[in-house]
Amino acid sequence: MFEARNLGLRYTVGERAFAALEGVDLSLPRGGFTTIVGRSGCGKTTLLRLLAGLAEPSDGELHFEGGGRPRIGYVFQEPRLMPWLSVAGNVGLGLVGRLDKGALMRRVTEALQLVGLSGFAEAMPDQLSGGMAQRVALARALVLEPDLLLLDEPFGALDAFTRRSLQMELVEIWRARGTTIVFVTHDVEEAVLLGQAVAELSEGRLVGLHRVDLPYPRDATDPALLAHRRTVLERLLETGPNSHLKETVP
Amino acid sequence: MPAFSGFLVFGVLGLAWFATSATGFVSPFLLPGPFTVAQAGWQLIQDGSLAKHAAISLQRVGLGYGLSVILALPLALLFGLLPRLRSFCEPALEFLRQIPPLALLPLLILWLGIGEVQKVGVIVLSCFFPIFLGALGGIAQADPKLIEVGRICGLSRGEILTRIVLPASLPALVVGLRIALGYSWRALVGAELIASSAGLGYLIIDAQNMARTDIVLVGVLVIGVLGLIADALARCALRRSAPWLRSQLELGRV
Ligand SMILES: Nc1ncnc2c1ncn2[C@@H]1O[C@H](COP(=O)(O)OP(=O)(O)OP(=O)(O)O)[C@@H](O)[C@H]1O
Ligand SMILES: [Mg+2]
Repeated sequence: MFEARNLGLRYTVGERAFAALEGVDLSLPRGGFTTIVGRSGCGKTTLLRLLAGLAEPSDGELHFEGGGRPRIGYVFQEPRLMPWLSVAGNVGLGLVGRLDKGALMRRVTEALQLVGLSGFAEAMPDQLSGGMAQRVALARALVLEPDLLLLDEPFGALDAFTRRSLQMELVEIWRARGTTIVFVTHDVEEAVLLGQAVAELSEGRLVGLHRVDLPYPRDATDPALLAHRRTVLERLLETGPNSHLKETVP
Repeated sequence: MPAFSGFLVFGVLGLAWFATSATGFVSPFLLPGPFTVAQAGWQLIQDGSLAKHAAISLQRVGLGYGLSVILALPLALLFGLLPRLRSFCEPALEFLRQIPPLALLPLLILWLGIGEVQKVGVIVLSCFFPIFLGALGGIAQADPKLIEVGRICGLSRGEILTRIVLPASLPALVVGLRIALGYSWRALVGAELIASSAGLGYLIIDAQNMARTDIVLVGVLVIGVLGLIADALARCALRRSAPWLRSQLELGRV
């Protein structure tokens, strides 16, 4: 799907320039499900923004298969709903004027069903809970039927049950549509549960790419999965800013 | 509840007014009592002159205000789209903004005569900047995070402007529109006080010349009430057209 070589982005904060992302080499196959884990501030959002074209890299290059950027769906870390549009209006934002009204409403209704918000099409954003707003944002990305779906901690604000069912839903969509997915999370368990590969980021660098060769649907209590989780956690602890403390994995 | 306590204040003020004039504490020439004023008002209503003056003033305000909106909104949009044009024109506009419109009145009278054009001109001069700056500020402050959503959803520049930036700028624009509404009244009455033969400002200055303080008070009260009504109508229109601003309206921020 794309190949990043020596990708980097520097910010200037005050007088000093610092690298939010540095020397990232990463290539993802079409149709793959990759998760990105790392501590807060390690550059996960920055990497997604570069992939989406919302920011320009200051180093390195990014090549997409077939030249141009594919159709992208992006779920931001915050819901970012337009307060003046209803839930349906928000979900259909990118389709208005591109589809006729009937087809648009069908697509929007379908997307809302996927995220379990069928009854809320007419609701306004300020009437939604945080988790509901985040699901609307997910529907807004899904409705575009993207080739590359970028998700930035999309399930962070959800309870364990809703989170679990949306995780399964996402895996289903991925398998049914063949969408390439890059999924950012700070939760190592979620990363190994969802991804075929887990990219480990630490202080702006890619410190490992761990393959999880387990069939879907996966079970969070599967011992094989727990072993993967342990490996990923250990690598993050080794490379983290406090690695000298020699923390141990429980 | 706030509405009720607001009326309570009016009631208390009315009582105080009644008390000061009934006790003869203030000479009735300086401050006629409520009944005298009501009588004068009734007379003006009956002979139709109050309605005539009010209608003329309202017409001037409507014309000047409408014209300001027609001028200010497209210009703000243009400046929002072309930052270079904005920085080019800004010093001149900023200079013009510092001058109270009434200070330009002598020039306006010289250039436009003392007819309607000059009065509408004064209103435009005083309404234009609040509307223009409100719109410009709103456009400039539109949340870049929401604009990014538009980019990701594949909206063109024009679509981002009309479907994201404009709605996002509405709260600031509405503040400008409301401030301008108040300014338009002040400018109008100012212009009518100086050179005119009709309108509420004229009614007041004419009454002053004839030493009819009661009619002066009628004029002042009518201007205040009309202003309140205009503001309430504006709020009501906003509540209907932009329901998502409801919470801000209730907090009185818009
Ligand atoms: N616009 C910006 N200007 C300056 N520095 C920035 C900017 N955006 C991000 N950074 C810095 O880049 C680094 C990486 O930020 P990023 O948002 O990618 O982290 P993250 O991994 O997504 O963290 P989190 O899990 O908390 O969302 C941080 O140190 C942050 O301070
Ligand atoms: Mg982030």
